[in-house]
Amino acid sequence: MTDTTVVSTKSPGNLHQLAIYLTRDKLALCAAIFLFILIVCVLFGPLLVGDMAGKLGLRQRNLAPFSLDQGFIYILGADTLGRPILARLIVGAQTTLAIAAAAVCCSMFVGGALGLIAGYSERWYSHVILRLADVIMSFPSLLLALIVLYTLGPSMTNLVIVLAITRMPVFIRTARAEVLELRERMFVSAALSMGASSRRILFRHIAPLVLPTLVTIAAIDFATVILAESSLSFLGLGIQPPNFTWGAMVANGRGYLSTAWWIAFWPGLAILLTTLSLNILASWARTVADPSQRWRLQSLRKAPR
Amino acid sequence: MFAYIGRRAYHSVISVIGLLTLVFFLTRLTGDPSALYLPLDSSLEARQAFAKLNGLDQPIYLQFLQYLSNLLSLDFGQSLRQNRSALEVALEAFPATLQLALIAMTLSTGLAIFIGAMAAARPGSLFDRVAGVVSLAGASTPDFWIAIVGILVFSVGLGLFPTSGTGTALHWIMPIAVLMLRPFGLLVQVVRGTMISALASPYIKTAHAKGMKRRKIIFGHALRNSLLPVITVAGDLMTGLVNGAVVVETIFGWPGIGKLMIDSIIQRDFAVVQSTILVTAIAIFVVNIAIDLLYVALDPRIRY
Amino acid sequence: MRYNLMLASAVAVAVLAGQAGAQNTNEIKIVLPEQPANLEPCGTIITNVGQILSRNVVEPLTVIDAATGQATPALATEWSQIDPNTWRFKLREGVKFQDGEAFNAAAVKYSIERMTGGKVTCSNIAKFGDSKLTVTATDELTIEVKSDKPQPILPTLLSVVMVVSPKTPADKAVNDPVGTGPFKLTSFSPQTVVLDAFDGYWGKKPAFTKASYVWRQESSIRAAMVETGEADLTPSIAIQDATTPETDFAYLNSETTALRIDTGFAPLDDVRVRKALNLAIDWDGLAQLFGDDIKRASQMAVTGINGHDDKLASWTYDAAQASALVAEAKAAGVPVETEIELIGRNGIYPNGSEAMEAMAAMWQEAGLNVKLTMLDVNDWLRYLQKPFPEGRGPNLLQMMHDNNKGDAAFTIPIFYTSAGSYSTVKDAALDAQVADALAATGDDRTTKFKAIFNKAHDELVLDIPMFHMIGYTRVGKRLDWKPDISTNSEIPLANIGLKN
Repeated sequence: MTDTTVVSTKSPGNLHQLAIYLTRDKLALCAAIFLFILIVCVLFGPLLVGDMAGKLGLRQRNLAPFSLDQGFIYILGADTLGRPILARLIVGAQTTLAIAAAAVCCSMFVGGALGLIAGYSERWYSHVILRLADVIMSFPSLLLALIVLYTLGPSMTNLVIVLAITRMPVFIRTARAEVLELRERMFVSAALSMGASSRRILFRHIAPLVLPTLVTIAAIDFATVILAESSLSFLGLGIQPPNFTWGAMVANGRGYLSTAWWIAFWPGLAILLTTLSLNILASWARTVADPSQRWRLQSLRKAPR
Repeated sequence: MFAYIGRRAYHSVISVIGLLTLVFFLTRLTGDPSALYLPLDSSLEARQAFAKLNGLDQPIYLQFLQYLSNLLSLDFGQSLRQNRSALEVALEAFPATLQLALIAMTLSTGLAIFIGAMAAARPGSLFDRVAGVVSLAGASTPDFWIAIVGILVFSVGLGLFPTSGTGTALHWIMPIAVLMLRPFGLLVQVVRGTMISALASPYIKTAHAKGMKRRKIIFGHALRNSLLPVITVAGDLMTGLVNGAVVVETIFGWPGIGKLMIDSIIQRDFAVVQSTILVTAIAIFVVNIAIDLLYVALDPRIRY
Repeated sequence: MRYNLMLASAVAVAVLAGQAGAQNTNEIKIVLPEQPANLEPCGTIITNVGQILSRNVVEPLTVIDAATGQATPALATEWSQIDPNTWRFKLREGVKFQDGEAFNAAAVKYSIERMTGGKVTCSNIAKFGDSKLTVTATDELTIEVKSDKPQPILPTLLSVVMVVSPKTPADKAVNDPVGTGPFKLTSFSPQTVVLDAFDGYWGKKPAFTKASYVWRQESSIRAAMVETGEADLTPSIAIQDATTPETDFAYLNSETTALRIDTGFAPLDDVRVRKALNLAIDWDGLAQLFGDDIKRASQMAVTGINGHDDKLASWTYDAAQASALVAEAKAAGVPVETEIELIGRNGIYPNGSEAMEAMAAMWQEAGLNVKLTMLDVNDWLRYLQKPFPEGRGPNLLQMMHDNNKGDAAFTIPIFYTSAGSYSTVKDAALDAQVADALAATGDDRTTKFKAIFNKAHDELVLDIPMFHMIGYTRVGKRLDWKPDISTNSEIPLANIGLKN
């Protein structure tokens, strides 16, 4: 008589599974690590280097990078007022990411929802939603920023509202385009014949199929929002001093590109790396979420005996 | 279809009227611009005289009624800055931007579709990674940075192109290159994303099993079915270019409507703000109607 | 085959690149920072209009000498004051307008009436304040100008009167001015202004037969254009782009930066607090924001303006004294901890907002409570000019004042009298002193103006003068020209020569 031991074939838990998928894709792993560092900066940055970021050093104006004479904090150079760029990058991460994340999420969810409704139904409100999208597209964002600043005063919330509104049309129209195509598909008529309500079909069946494209757009929109805030800062309509974002740092460096290139370069690089990481992670998430694509991240496992 | 176009045109006209009304009232919320048009040391009487001369001292409802009655005789107002018809100013600036936008969008969309499709055919490959990083780099970099560095490198350093201005064919190269970057970056990602989903469909597997050539599968079948979101985003980017090639126009000295709009907004030249928004709004509405019609051409299942 | 293609493209590139540098020697190309919104000759005090039109297309009756601040002949050759309210001017002979009309007393009368008539928005008459002028043509080449109040400096004031052809409409602004200058306006498009030489000009022929003006907002692009030869001259580049001493010249540009103190609110109504505000700033450190050539200011007008006192010393940095004064005021019951609003203006001058941030930080250290708000131009203007906004509290206003008209009469009244547009001061004794100085002439006038500047600085401490600003130009190697204090308002092409 042989003892048969039953080997447990429990598959790893969800989080562990995700981690495994992550390790399979090296680039996505780098992206995730970078974003983790960024989150650490967001949470602890102001505590650690907060006063260095605001301290004026009029004698260190436009200090060049890559020299350790003034201390490690000046490794990336100093800006027009002699403040260390590394410290300002770390502290600026909080405001930048907060504004960008809030604006992008807001416009993606609200715009996406409006687009879903506009695409699915043919009632009068879908036409109104589309015309609203057209009107927002035609309204220059600078004008909107100026009006909001004038009437409601400068504040981070108002800035987020302006940025979210100006980015909404692309989500509305893209969601609508996808829904127009999806609602003609077989599974929709099958669901209808089974008695599903429109709302259920829309949010339970169609929305998950529309989401990946919206997320792809949102990931790049992150950079677009940061750069839009940069243009507003250049004109004095963005975040007001003494608060600052990476975009404001880039805008301040605009006149110095040939003489003190580091002032605009490092924040620009930060924006680039953040966007890159978000996009890589978004495309990795798309692969994980789609059952027909997941095989790329899975390995063959020996069946237990 | 003509009924559809007719209905859309009718809706668009109503939207334009609504937009202009909104713009009229909202811009005047930003204050009386008389002080901006006169020297700093001008007296209060001079400023009041200016306001009276240009109808700025009247209550806003009266100004609006005046504006509406002027519209009926197709008078869109005078530019306070340039002392000529506001509509003439806007229409003069529009073609330059339109040309830039059309060429930049066509080139970037074509290139993005090609590269995005190739990247989607082999996801995770070196080509895919490099194309992704390069396109994202272009989309995330501030456009003024690329423009100014480009001028410093290619014009001042290498002497290949003129720094700025219009004129010869060479003058077009750098502005268009800079304008193409963001649309190209975003579109490559969108094309790649939708193509990957399309390439995973059963009918593609069937075609593959039938022995169809890879190129025909990608460009003949999968691409057509994933173009809907792509042209939507392309349309949105196009309208964005029409509105906002401001940085390129500013740096390269291109006399376009984006810079005109920004300057007019900052200078509170209300009539020109309204006329530029009118011109660009009409262009935007036309583009959106065209995109909607393209949906039907691409996917016969769609009906309005 | 491929080799031929490469060769052909290399040649093409070389030819085209070469063309970038080739210049027709009689043409000059100037790149300005901003497009002129219009070319109305009554708006030549606006920088980018004046730099194109002034003394090129249209000419004034008199010209201010940059060194002395005195009026010198232009279209008027001599003048005399007949009585306190009337001046007689003799006009130049042999002058023609570019459209063939004759230059005479009637034409000058027409120009002045067009300016003061009120149907055309005329920026230039801001210099006249509220005086009313009546012009009579006593004969073909003589006019008499009568003002309602005594005007000792009428010849100086007439330096802003640009004489235009009598065919110019008097009821609307024009974009195609016709004057008496050495160049006539050929075209004005959103991209460029082109001037061609006028053969019938009365004076010396300029070195150029054609001038074209373009505009680029970015300083680095303007600098690059002169470097590659695409342009010959740019009158304004940022300090960080002025890196080549052979082509980049600095000049005092007649602008003075300062902070206006709103003396009507506590704690700013106490002179100790105002002195402390001046003493608490590290002026040497702050000057580094603006470059090595910047000059510290002690009064609101630059050297060369009649009334400027070279001997008036500016406040120096003394943090200990500043804190002591604040403490002393506090002990005397002055509410020094009241929040003072420091109002900045976006884009007023390069590094303007950085300077405000730095100054606010320094005042915090002296024991004052200063909060910075940056405003957009239109908003800022409400605080600059009377009537000031209701509900404002103690405030300091960032500002910049331009005076290149040679006389302190364009500075002192507007800042220090009770009725002055910028003024927060209500001091009847000072008002009388200013009125007395304005009516004086010659050395007496100069002495009286100097006394007022001294009083405003040392005794009353009415404001916080910062710096006399420096502009930077880049001049192409084939030109022989240096900027001077009037470059901000005019670039007469007749003064530009060609090096051989």
